[in-house]
This record gives sequence, C-alpha cells and structure tokens, in this order.
Amino acid sequence: MSEKHAANRREDLRLITGRGRYSSDMNLPGQLHAAFLRSDHAHAEIVSIDTASALKRPGAVAVLTGDDALAAGYKHFPNLLTFTNKAGASLIKPQRPVLAHGRVRFVGETVAMVVAHSAAEARDALDAIEVEYRDLPVVVDAEEALQPGAPQLHANVPGNLNFEWDTGDAAAVEQAFKQAAHVTRLKVVSPRVIPNPMEPRAAVIGYDAAEDAYDIYTNSQGIVMLRWQFAALTGVAEDKLRFHLHDVGGSFGQRSAVYPEHGALMIAAKKLGRPVKWVSSRSEGFLSDSHGRGIVMAGELAIDKDGKFLAAKYQFVCDMGAYLTPTGTASHVRNPAICTTGVYKIPALYANFRVVMTNTAPVAAYRGAGRPDIAYVIERLVDQAAHELKIDRAELRRRNFIPLDAFPYKTPTMGVYEASDFNGCLTMALKAADYDGFPARRAAAAKRGKLRGIGLSTTIEGTAAGMFPKDQIAIEFNAEGQLEVFTVALSQGQGHETTFAQIVADTLGIDATDVTLRESVQGKKLEGNHTGGSRSLVGAGSICKVAAQKLIEQARPLAAEALELEPSQVEYAKGLFTSRDGSKSIGLLDLAKKHAGANPHPLNLMAEGSVAATFPNGCHIAEVEIDPETGVSKIAAYTACDDCGTVINHAIVEGQIHGGVAMGAGQVFGEQVMYDKASGQLLSGSFSDYAMPRAGWVGGINMNDHPVISKINVLGAKGVGESGCTASLSSLVTAALDALRPLGIHHVDMPLTPPRVWQQIQRAKQLQQTKAK
Amino acid sequence: MAKIQLTVNGASHTREVEDRTLLVDLLRDHLGLTGTHIGCDTSQCGCCTVHVDGRAVKSCTMLAAQVNGATVVTIEGMASGDKLHPVQQAFTDCHALQCGFCTPGMIMATAALLKDNPQPTDEEIYHGLEGNLCRCTGYINIVKAVKQAAQTLK
Repeated sequence: MSEKHAANRREDLRLITGRGRYSSDMNLPGQLHAAFLRSDHAHAEIVSIDTASALKRPGAVAVLTGDDALAAGYKHFPNLLTFTNKAGASLIKPQRPVLAHGRVRFVGETVAMVVAHSAAEARDALDAIEVEYRDLPVVVDAEEALQPGAPQLHANVPGNLNFEWDTGDAAAVEQAFKQAAHVTRLKVVSPRVIPNPMEPRAAVIGYDAAEDAYDIYTNSQGIVMLRWQFAALTGVAEDKLRFHLHDVGGSFGQRSAVYPEHGALMIAAKKLGRPVKWVSSRSEGFLSDSHGRGIVMAGELAIDKDGKFLAAKYQFVCDMGAYLTPTGTASHVRNPAICTTGVYKIPALYANFRVVMTNTAPVAAYRGAGRPDIAYVIERLVDQAAHELKIDRAELRRRNFIPLDAFPYKTPTMGVYEASDFNGCLTMALKAADYDGFPARRAAAAKRGKLRGIGLSTTIEGTAAGMFPKDQIAIEFNAEGQLEVFTVALSQGQGHETTFAQIVADTLGIDATDVTLRESVQGKKLEGNHTGGSRSLVGAGSICKVAAQKLIEQARPLAAEALELEPSQVEYAKGLFTSRDGSKSIGLLDLAKKHAGANPHPLNLMAEGSVAATFPNGCHIAEVEIDPETGVSKIAAYTACDDCGTVINHAIVEGQIHGGVAMGAGQVFGEQVMYDKASGQLLSGSFSDYAMPRAGWVGGINMNDHPVISKINVLGAKGVGESGCTASLSSLVTAALDALRPLGIHHVDMPLTPPRVWQQIQRAKQLQQTKAK
Repeated sequence: MAKIQLTVNGASHTREVEDRTLLVDLLRDHLGLTGTHIGCDTSQCGCCTVHVDGRAVKSCTMLAAQVNGATVVTIEGMASGDKLHPVQQAFTDCHALQCGFCTPGMIMATAALLKDNPQPTDEEIYHGLEGNLCRCTGYINIVKAVKQAAQTLK
C-alpha cells in the first residue's frame, strides 16, 4: 500500500468553495419550520400546558406536546448495551417521550414544538406557550444522586442507580493487594464535556402519504445505525424510513444517536402533511445535544517490591444524565472494560461500574467513548506510583509493559490485544521528545519564572468491534461506465472520499480520480457499520480492498473474451489486462466502459467481511509550562508516537491525531459542563462560558510513527480517530502535575483552568509558609 | 420591512426583508449562498465570517439593513473561475479542513487577516483567528495554511 503524504482531499474542493451541503442547507418544497420549547426547570411536574395563545400567533400552524408524543408511542429509545450483570439484571430504560409528558428532568428537555411558516415565527410563538411547573428537588451530581435521600428521577430506577456491572476477579485482586509492597490510590474526574461539532443539529423530515414513508435529511454518522434507531424509537418499519444523507459538520459521537427532536418532527410531518424543518441554535445545542464523559473514577494499583504491578481495581460512577441515550452506557461501561489493564501486564483486575441518573442533559459517546477515561485513570495511577516509589516514569512502564512475545494478549477483563510494541513506541517517543534533555529545559523555564513539567502516557484502546456483524462494499459502474464504490459509512470530516478511493485505486493500480465513493446512499441494500469508534477505515476500508481484488477476478473472463484469450492467459497489473506475451491488452476501465449501459453492469459486485476490533496504541509526551503568577498553563512541547498499523494517508492520519490531541487539551485545560447544584441550571451554556480550544492551544505536534501491522484486517491498519484524545488527557495532566509537584501539589483534576491552578499554588505556598514557621 | 440593495460576489441584488433579518440569513435564505454557515447564536464561532466593504465581519452580527449599498464577498466569491484564492489553495494543500463547516469562515477570516498583516507571526495568527472556532483540526494545519497563503500572497 502506498503511503500518500499529500493532502488535497477529494472532498476539499466543494468544502473550500462553499458548495458543501449540510443539513441546514436542505430545503423541501412546501416545508414548514419547527421550534422547540425547552424546559427551564431541571426537575418539575408539568401541571398544565396552554398552547391556545401560541396557535394564534402569526404564522403558527400547530403546537405539539407530550400528549402527541404519547399518542404516537414515541417514548422508547433503544440502547446498545445489552448484557446483564452477574445478578442477571439488565439496564433499565426509563421512558422518554419525545416531548416531555407529566414531568421534566433536565433543563433543555423538549416540552412542546411549534410549527410555523417560518423559523422566526415558530420561535416567536414559543413565548406564548404557558406551562405551569411544580418544582421537584434537583440532583446534578452523580455521587450525590447515589446518596440515601437524594431526589429520585424515575420511579423505576430506585436510588437513581440504573445499572451496576462488574468485571474481573474481585477475590484474586483482594489477595494480590494483601501481598503488595506498595499500593497507589487515586480518585480522578473525567469532567462532563459537550462535543460541540461546529455544525449544529438540524433535520428536515417529510412524510409521503402514498407510500406511508418518511424522507429524512439530518446530520448522521451513517445510514444503517441511524435507520435502526429511528425504527426502534418510532416503530416505523426500516424500509419506510428513507434517509438522504450528505455532508456532516463533525460529530465526535454526538450524532450517532437518534434524538427526541427527530421523533417530534416525524409526528408533525405526518400530521400536517408537509415537510418540517428544524435547525438547532447553539444555545439549544449546549442544553440538549448529548454530552460526553462525566465519570468519577477511583483506582488502586498494587505493586510488588520490584515495582511490578500485581493488581488493579477501579470504581466508575458514570453520570448518564436524566435519560439514557442509545450509546452512552456502552461507551461508559463496555468500552473502558476492554482495556482495564492498559498496556501493562497486570495479573489481577477488577472494575465496577455504576450507571447513575441525574437532572442533567443525557450523556452519550464522545470521541474515545470511555477509552480516554480508563486510559486516564491507569496512567495517572502509574504516574503517581512512579512518584511514590521514586522510580523514573519510563522505567516503571518498561518493567510492566506487556512484552512482545505475549501477543495476542488476553486481558483479565474483556480484551484480546493484537500485537503491539509498547516499549518500541516509548523508546522512539523519548528520543523524539529529548526526554533526557528535559532538566535543562525545566531549569531554563524556571529562570523565566515558569514551572515546567514533562508528562508521558503509554496508552492503548480497543476500536469499535462493530454493532453490525458485517461490513459490505459494493462496486458498481454507472451509465457512463465509471467506477463507483458504495459504503454505509459516512464521513463527518474523516476524508473517506479520499482514503477509500485511494484503497480501491491502489489495489487496482489505477488513478484515484477514476474512483468515486458514495456514502450512506438511500436505497442501496448494504449492511455495515456507521462511522464511529475509529472503525470505518479498518472495517469498510478493508472491504474496499477486498472488493477491488474481487473486481479483478470478476473482470478477468470478460477481459479474456475481449482479447480473444482464455482467462488463465490474461494477467492483470496497473489497471491493464494483458496477454502473457504482452501483445494484447485492455484497460479495466475501458473494459467497464465497453459494457456501460448494461443492466446490471457485468462488473458490479458486492464484497463483505467481518472485521474485529483493532488496538491502536502509542506514547505521547507533553511538556507544560505554568505561570505561577496567573495559573495559566501552556503546552510548551508535544511529541506523539503512534502505532496505528499501516497508514493509508499520512496527512489524514496526522489530522486525526492533531484533532484528538486538541480535544484532549480542551478537556484538560478548559472544557467543563457546569450545572448549578441548587437549581440545575446550565451555567456553561455558550461559547463564552464554555472554553473551546482556540488556535495556539496546541502549537504543534512532533509526529512519529511506530507501526506494528495489524493482522485483523487486510489493510494492516488500526483505527486512529480517537488515539489522540486517549493519549493526551494523561500526558498533559501529568506534565502539569510534574510542574507542580515541587510545590507539593500531587493531585489536580481536569480542567486545569487558570483559577483552579492558581488557587492550588496559593494553597501550597500557604502550607509551605505554615510549615516553615 | 426593509428594502436592501447590495453587491454580493460582484452581482447586484435588491431584496425586501423583515427588519430583523440578519446579514447571514439574507445571504443564506434570500440569496441562496449557503456556503456561509451558522455555528452559534452568540457571535463567537466565526463560521459566518464574510467580507463587507473589504473587512471581515461575522455576518450574524449585522442586520441586513446595515449592508444596504455595501459590497459583500462570501466564500462563493473567493475563487476566480477555476482558480482558487491562495487562501483556499493553502487550506486544501495543508489539510487545514476536516468536516469543512468552519472552513468558509476560517478562509474569510484568514484572507482579511493577511490583508491587514501580510506576514503574521504565530502569535499574531492565533490572535487573528481567536474568533473562529474549529473542532476538527486542532488548528495546527490551519496555522500552517495561513503561513503558506502568506507566502503565496507576498
């Protein structure tokens, strides 16, 4: 496989010239516009809703409420987590009518929907809806929600504990802890964040009465996953749900799920017989987009006298918000369980997960989806243990890495790791980062009055194994005989049009511009997985290669016929079928054109395969400088060494790492969803209250590549979409901590905002002064 | 209602719009120029950046009525025929876009930044793009693209 460094993606031209087509750009003839009334109470009974005045407002056509949602029966959201715990209990799925009925449970919950002739008129009419609420006590913190006497959100979720699940061998872990020479304990928080892809949510939904079918235009991560969820929520058969998908302005897990607004738009479109369009404002998005992370993690690591890890145990308290999203619980429970051992040989492991309901926006997958969280607690434990044992952090890791000869490595919890070279990655990263030269940089920073620290992470993650058992790819030739590749994946910025076309073109030995990718096309009968969990390249991308190989074999007899030879006498290379003696040849594409217009085209084909999870890993090393006068942290240097197997397109892979690291930096230094404890009001409801990473937060990344080719798929690739996020949380926090440890600060929780860091420094200084006295 | 006459990407338009219509809505809904995007409702994300009389403006911060008589350039007006504007070219060359949603605003902001400051330092680029949010790229390649464009435009 060639390694392409150039950028200039296939999708770029339309996107840089303003010709991208995003959800809010979609319009259907005769469409009406919707606006949602959202609860401004975090927990309350709905005593009454009066919609009469709103209906009289100019342009108003209809007002829908929870009664309409119940009448339609749209109240059961599907959930990806299907396993039971050791006691045989399953997840509880509290009902969530697509418009609230009887009670609201978080600020931002959809209470009513106005449909009007224009979006402005719909928004105006919202003000005329009168809702009487009777307030109920509020709980916004997951640990507090578990306390006796906490406000109860759902009658069928006693104590707000929706599900408790554990994995590993508790007895073996307890035994190992008894034998430990040293135990390191930590409690860390992965704060709740908002994915905030730059494109707000939007949808246009029309109803076709003749076919009893719906036409749906919305942002998505892929047609199959979304169709399944829409059908599960609404009871409408999948073949009556016609999705028309297009450019997507980022997702990061936020668009993998069906939302209540989708269901409400379907009810309105059918009731009114006209398409209905809704475009979320960013303010609505902060309130009602699925949030991410929100986990309190306690970890303990047992270590023997030689610095070898004996056992680890974890307790996760996962804040799921007021209702379960389809993806949130699997993200917070299943995904971290796969990698509880990190990159280390830890013989005994145990993890306990509690899924908790609070009066906050529902939580779902967010880039990494549980993988960065488990990696973060492990790496913080290792960093802390190294400090406590006075062993160099790289050296402690080396003593405990899963060795090269141990693969495939079956972890004591859920994972089976494919081959990786953790020590190789670490060694390359240490060199690239000039780890040995760090003391001089720290001293130089000190002269400038800055606290400089270095932090490292060595992490691994299991990319999505796939919800759907197969990934299928179709290759078809259109009326002009041009090659088109069909997949149910859907890029939200990952550049599939470039990489998938490149895979097919490289396999066939033709120019990539002769291959066109078509994603999530309505009416194509293909199975496969959506784009999420770093999966599409290793899943759909691999099958692109299989399909291209199949195409050569399918074309061979036709080429032989055209050349008047036997198929065995025809050789294929670089896009050409050639006779053995080289005297006669025909190009694959010319052959396809010869048959253009045939229905079906004789070269059309479908290829499929089951592709398991891959295990990308790497070592990231960060240097952070803190100004003790202001508490402001800056990333002074960042080195990444990643093993994502075979790289198909370097520019795109680097872009994924850049973006992932920056997202990690956002969570580490700024981002945090804040709710007021007493009222449950969202305090971080706009880009001025919520610190999104800005240009310069990550100045540059020293990129290094240490691939161990994956044997799980024909490309040899490992998913890279989330690696940057998984590695950066711990590298950045431990770098900051390394800067602060000389002051006696040995714990900080994300986000390391300037006030939080400054206050810690002040407290530490006071403590030192007190001691000196 | 307000009657507006303006020039957008070289073409003259006259429209009658509700008084409260924002410039971004005029461009998107009335003129069909959907390359200008809306990423927030608080004038912070910069996705809707266009040029009004040669200056970068977040088009959600202006009423359509305020651009009466003005000359507006949007992302659709940046290329000359098939020839991309150097900033557009730099964005694709440097892989400075992923999902592409912030990109039109980012390109418009960059073009204006380079007009004011043809050879910006890294810090000046960070400052110049402070009002434009990107969630995909980590800005690293965007900064690279700004520098490439600065070289081309020199």
